[in-house]
Amino acid sequence: MLQTAFNGLVTGIIIALPSLAITLLFGVLKFPNFAVGAMMTVAAYMVYAVNVQLGWPLLPATAAVAVAFGLLCIAIDHVTFRPLRDRGGITLMVASLGLGFVLENVARFAYGNAARSFAIELARPFRFFDIRMNREQMTAMVVATLAMGLMYVLLTRMPVGRAMRAVADNPSLALVRGIDSASIIRWTWFITGVLLAVGGVLIGMDRALEPPMGTSYVIAVFSAAILGGLGSPLGAFVGALLIGLVSELATLVIPPNYRIGIPLCVIALVLIFRPQGIFGQMYIRR
Amino acid sequence: MIDFIILMGTVVCFSAILALALNFQWGLGGMVNFGLAGFYALGAYSCALLMLKGGFNTFFATLGAMGIVALVCGLVALVTLRVTEEDYFAIVTLGVGEMLRLVALNEDWLTKGALGLTGIPRPLGELIPAPVYLYFMLALSLVLVAACVWVLGRLSRSPFGRVVRAVREDDVVAATLGKNVLWARVRIFAIGGALIGLAGSLHAFYFQYIDPTQFSTIVIAYAFMAVIAGGRGAHVGTVAGAAAVMLLLEGSRFAKELVPGLESDQLAAVRIIIIGIGLIMLLIYRPHGFMREYRLQVPLKDSLGQARSQPPKEAPT
Amino acid sequence: MKGFSRRRMLKTIGAAVAAPIGAPFLNLAHAQGSTIPIGVALPMTGNAGAYGPDMGEAAKRTVEMINKAGGILGGRKLELIIEDSESSASVAANLSQKFINVHRCQALVGYWGTPEGMSSRPIAIQNKVVLMVSSAANAITEGNTEGYVWRFQMKATDWGIVISRATEQSLGFKSVGVMGLQNAFVLPIMRVFEERMKALGRTVVESLVYNPEQPSYRAEVQRVFGKKPDAVFCFGLLPDFVSIMREVYRGGFDSKVVALSIAADSEGKFVNAVGADVAEGIRHFQPMPDVSAPGYKRFLKLMGAPADRVYLFPPNTHDQIAIAALAMEKAKSPMAVDWSKQIIPVGNGPGEAVDDVIGALEMVRSGRNVNFQGAGSTCDFTPNGDQIGRGMGQWIIKGGKSVFVEYAKP
Repeated sequence: MLQTAFNGLVTGIIIALPSLAITLLFGVLKFPNFAVGAMMTVAAYMVYAVNVQLGWPLLPATAAVAVAFGLLCIAIDHVTFRPLRDRGGITLMVASLGLGFVLENVARFAYGNAARSFAIELARPFRFFDIRMNREQMTAMVVATLAMGLMYVLLTRMPVGRAMRAVADNPSLALVRGIDSASIIRWTWFITGVLLAVGGVLIGMDRALEPPMGTSYVIAVFSAAILGGLGSPLGAFVGALLIGLVSELATLVIPPNYRIGIPLCVIALVLIFRPQGIFGQMYIRR
Repeated sequence: MIDFIILMGTVVCFSAILALALNFQWGLGGMVNFGLAGFYALGAYSCALLMLKGGFNTFFATLGAMGIVALVCGLVALVTLRVTEEDYFAIVTLGVGEMLRLVALNEDWLTKGALGLTGIPRPLGELIPAPVYLYFMLALSLVLVAACVWVLGRLSRSPFGRVVRAVREDDVVAATLGKNVLWARVRIFAIGGALIGLAGSLHAFYFQYIDPTQFSTIVIAYAFMAVIAGGRGAHVGTVAGAAAVMLLLEGSRFAKELVPGLESDQLAAVRIIIIGIGLIMLLIYRPHGFMREYRLQVPLKDSLGQARSQPPKEAPT
Repeated sequence: MKGFSRRRMLKTIGAAVAAPIGAPFLNLAHAQGSTIPIGVALPMTGNAGAYGPDMGEAAKRTVEMINKAGGILGGRKLELIIEDSESSASVAANLSQKFINVHRCQALVGYWGTPEGMSSRPIAIQNKVVLMVSSAANAITEGNTEGYVWRFQMKATDWGIVISRATEQSLGFKSVGVMGLQNAFVLPIMRVFEERMKALGRTVVESLVYNPEQPSYRAEVQRVFGKKPDAVFCFGLLPDFVSIMREVYRGGFDSKVVALSIAADSEGKFVNAVGADVAEGIRHFQPMPDVSAPGYKRFLKLMGAPADRVYLFPPNTHDQIAIAALAMEKAKSPMAVDWSKQIIPVGNGPGEAVDDVIGALEMVRSGRNVNFQGAGSTCDFTPNGDQIGRGMGQWIIKGGKSVFVEYAKP
């Protein structure tokens, strides 16, 4: 049972970064980005290209791609979402659905359907009390926690982060205060890109790389963000860990092939009992 | 060749009904249904199982399927709409749709899982001889599409339709006017669900074999494209949009002959990429599609017979 | 929105309709009557998308070879129409209709997945056109196929029989775990296998089914491998098997793993994806061509592949086209209603055994009887369309390469 709980933590860590990205995007840009899964897929393949085809070790490959992908996200936003900015969240959401299809199939176009892996050594586990864990999982935990820490610093201490929160809270007031919302949006997308690139690598380390890999996480990611409270970064992290834990622990009682239903139930319960999630705030959107 | 056109025409018809359902739920009612594929599967499987296991004939099985999907949609709307955020609604419907597909895949005592259900009877299949059956099927489908357009058109123009549009535009105002917002939305979603059930039943009759692979998420993209191309809220336009999308899809298979040099799996990926890009471009450049909701078509002369100087401003989406 | 009237919209729709409808008339008008069209539906996308491209390549090369040698039926060339079935039943059904009604195909080949075969079967029978599938699920040839449905693969239940017999005879596992992908051909295999294990007195510690494209398989691996059986039999496809084996390795589980070759080999893609360490010791089974047969060796040369390459499915596609061509030649007619009756005569004989389709065509033209031995199998059929005489190969992965163990029949 402890092992299952640990597995749940691992699963949760993997969805923590995309949940964070979703919650940031939602906070600043006010729409749920359904392309999040496909974006991670594309980023993961980009890392694959640098790691396997160019031969760089995984860490520098990830760093390089994270920056490149952040810039790519800015470009994607410019082409796809900016023209739709004033149309409202629903239109942006539908556009993100279309974008998801495009990105997943770009990956398929470039790399075909066969499953691949990064060029890293898979490690045998070591035992810590009664729990098996391995180096990759430890790396994932460290990376995700670091990312969270950095995000926290960014959002609370650095001007860019504070500006992002201002725009998220009240865009017109932020404008009055002289915050350039276009620049903030670009920063948001850049950070999103970095988060999703790292998230994609964590997924690619966990399981096979194939075109549909990211899309299978969409429901869990959204569930984590909603549970934690859309718009709250800490909530995204906590929500992700909780979703991971509950999903894995639930397999002790329900058949494992239905565990995708857990995030869904969580969403339903959250919406019924506490729609703002754990850390979010109720707000009226007008 | 003619036969193929007839068959594709039938496919267009039930795709059009599916698009009409989405149009009603989203275009008119403002509720995004990302779980469309799952509800579609529910409709097809309900109809098939009612016939194969329940022994109902095609007519009652269709009604049953419509009822089941309407009920499930209504429940989903009821549970979710305590909070009116449309964004949450989309993710919930996505999740429900996925669960429905999973149930179809895994509960093989009921649905025969991945193997699927075969030998599904068709309406009047016994009575009409095989060579002419496809004409009958097309005629029946066209009649059903026309009936749906008529019913939805009447609903849109009715007091209920006005409530629906009021709720979509501004639900706080609608509530202050005493309209029961929640109940209106539940009904909208349920009516859309009934149409999805009808489309699913036709799908089952047409292919006579259903399995989970037929109801994948790409169905949603096609339906959204049809609705957006045809104009959110416009029923006839939606049908035309569905026809255009289906024809483009099937037509692009023919176009393969014209594009050498790509592997088949790359070509298949390209088709979906084009669909996705098409969807985004439609949203950017033709958000009202090619036809409009009826109420926005204002006569050029006002009630006094004098010409207007300019068309009035359109309402925001 | 000014200016975009209903009229323009109707014109646009009209153009959209005319273009795709017109295209085949432009393309095929000159071809009607001179080439013989064969429809090929293969999964290029979807969860079986990894397997389609090679089968398509085999089909292309086979047809090229036949056409270069003069075609059939007095110099008529074969023409392939290859389409992506998207691993979907409804797409395959639409494709079958298109092949039959638009391209006038009398032979539909490929059809790797069970749903594609199942949905196209009634269409083929109704239109009196031959459907040749490469799928395993028993249901495809059940009932009355009127001689129009032919399976170029081993039946699913037979797979379970061979695997369990190998386990009984040589592998000696006392306790086993079973996990399978929710897929139409896997479940019958699992069922037969489990029944026989129990009948042989072995313990089945856990048996579960998982879905395709799950984010992670950690819980499933924990559940099955956590009970520490001697071996776990995993019946899945490549992507999920890669994820599962990574999980198994990282979890430090010791049970031996037995799988199907479409997952554990897939022409080397599995070892590429997980690395030699993870793959070490995995056994895999798959109905396979008899790689020592001359027909298979000839096929390798056709594909330009090295002598140790094991192709699981492409040889079937080659055989499908070869048998169709031979049957047409023997019946002296391209119409399936005629040549479907000649499939058993050219495949089973009696006649001279020949594995080269060009040579066989010449023999048939000169009136001699042949017994075609294909690349994928000896192409001997039962009256209801199943292939007999196929065997399964067993391999074990050592040092990053699959080492052949034995070849067994049900």
